[in-house]
Amino acid sequence: MNLHKLSSRLCPTVTQKFRHLHIQSSGQQLESVAVETASAEPNPLSVFRTSEQDPAYHSERQSGQYYTFPPAHIQKLFPHGLPPRFQLQIKTFNEGCVMVRPPALELISYLKRADYSKPPLRYVLYGDTGTGKTLSLCHALHYCYTQGWLIVHIPDAHLWVKNCKELLPSSSRPSRFDQPIQASHWLKNFKITNEHFLSKIKTTQRYVWTKRESTEMGQPLGELVDQGVNRMKSSSDVVGAVLRELRLQAGGITEGEGAFKLAVAVDGVNALWGKTSLKKEDRTLCEPEELTLIHNLRKMMKNNWSGGAILTALSQTGSLFTPRSAYLPNELLGEEGFDHMEPFVPVSVSNYDEKEFESCYLYYLDRNWLQHPHSRSEEGKKELIFLSNKNPSILERLCAFL
Amino acid sequence: MAASVRHLLKPWTPSLCLVRWSRYNPYYLDPDPSKDACVPESEISPEQKELQELKTVRPIKAALSSDTSSSFNDPLISKFINMMMQDGNKILARGIMTQTLESIKRKQVEKYHKSPAAKKEEIECNPYTIFHLGLENCKPIIGLASVQKGGKSYQVPVPLTDNRRRFLAMKWMITECRDNKHRRTHMYEKLSQELLAAFANEGNVVKRKHDLHKMAEANRAYAHYRWW
Repeated sequence: MNLHKLSSRLCPTVTQKFRHLHIQSSGQQLESVAVETASAEPNPLSVFRTSEQDPAYHSERQSGQYYTFPPAHIQKLFPHGLPPRFQLQIKTFNEGCVMVRPPALELISYLKRADYSKPPLRYVLYGDTGTGKTLSLCHALHYCYTQGWLIVHIPDAHLWVKNCKELLPSSSRPSRFDQPIQASHWLKNFKITNEHFLSKIKTTQRYVWTKRESTEMGQPLGELVDQGVNRMKSSSDVVGAVLRELRLQAGGITEGEGAFKLAVAVDGVNALWGKTSLKKEDRTLCEPEELTLIHNLRKMMKNNWSGGAILTALSQTGSLFTPRSAYLPNELLGEEGFDHMEPFVPVSVSNYDEKEFESCYLYYLDRNWLQHPHSRSEEGKKELIFLSNKNPSILERLCAFL
Repeated sequence: MAASVRHLLKPWTPSLCLVRWSRYNPYYLDPDPSKDACVPESEISPEQKELQELKTVRPIKAALSSDTSSSFNDPLISKFINMMMQDGNKILARGIMTQTLESIKRKQVEKYHKSPAAKKEEIECNPYTIFHLGLENCKPIIGLASVQKGGKSYQVPVPLTDNRRRFLAMKWMITECRDNKHRRTHMYEKLSQELLAAFANEGNVVKRKHDLHKMAEANRAYAHYRWW
């Protein structure tokens, strides 16, 4: 254990290093980190926690430390957004703590410096399985939420291209297919996250759903969303309409009441250009292009609008017909996806390093999670490092039964 | 003496055909993969030194692939996994075991974090201690054996060996979870509920142990039919 590093963090140093943010390409760790002089932590075990709960103020000083999501934010921002094992962890530990790591800090620093009058930048988080792409995305999304952006969060695009019980032919276009259940479920969660925006944004066009139902121009977006939630048949088209409205209005008004920045976050973005496992009526495979939801999402991924950012993460775990060892953008997105997404800013996410592993270990000890007496010893720790190779998800699964 | 016994090391075929038991010559010693086996010279007593000498000379059986030298290896848990295994699917059995331990720990840690500071000391969070103590609470002290006397067979109360007690506890636990629970719950869920109940001396397995004790108590009169 690096007792030297721990002790140097405990005694406050005079010099404040690296006050301004700078982009860390390979996640190099700083040697002596200045302790927040405002909050002197008397308990040595809470070296791994930071008192800075606002993601806007996170910097490399808090790198490797855990910060807590406020419970109200979890309910509003992540009704469906967090990975299932992390949700279990929140339930067990009675708090939602996420480690501040260099990829997320990099992403947040880009978001701070970007010019929002220009077309949106596309950020792609990539890395091996279980290294923390989804949680880094959630961290960045929390930052956007605290800054008051409008969040469009698709927690896993893979869920839209497989295991669909009801695939209806589209009501508006002949060659498309609708997924009413997935669309209405997503609209419900979208409503929970962006409650306060729904009354402010107005539609710019008249939408006709059936002979008797239509939404007029100038209606609040809330009505459109309700239309989709209540009438399942047209919910996929409603999703398309909602996305279109947001695209048109995000960069429209820069100052004043109706101004908002749009954050589009898609996890498992390689599903949009991969294969589906859905079959049409004549037993042939469905292309992702033929699904309404996927088609509209692809339009969203283009950078022909302004006033926001597109944050994405690749995922091999839920993807169909991709080899287990593929993790680079080129391999997972395929040619079509890569051409569509280019140019993008790649952000690499890797396994924990020494300091982060230390922090994770101390956090588990603090939360009374590592129960086996051998895991609390030095040798047990070395065994954990060896077995998990400092991979966050494997470490979490190992510590679950130890 | 060792030299005379040595020549019996030729391939040993037992006189009775044993289907499931070990084919090793009984001269072979059991392996001990744990790291504690290597203790420095000064700390061991003369008998243990002799034992260690013996280990260097006598042949030792091959270690099982499920035993590790790390201290996370627990023989009781390995035995339980073997008993749960069906059709040789050890991976599935081990997965169920780890999920059971995880779910026990989750329930207890959740309770721990939600309880006030005074009650925190009493909550046991270690799934291994809960497993061990729960199984202890399920072990019967006395068993029944069927003895035939004068044309009639009687259930005679009989002492049980340690191995038999452990086997019965595990067997009851597994059959209880397989048969008497709701069909749609996962095995790890059923096991974790039953183990936590056994830890608190409640639940169907402990009840079955108590029933066995009562039967043995009721048949106390036939205890003299036992001749061993």
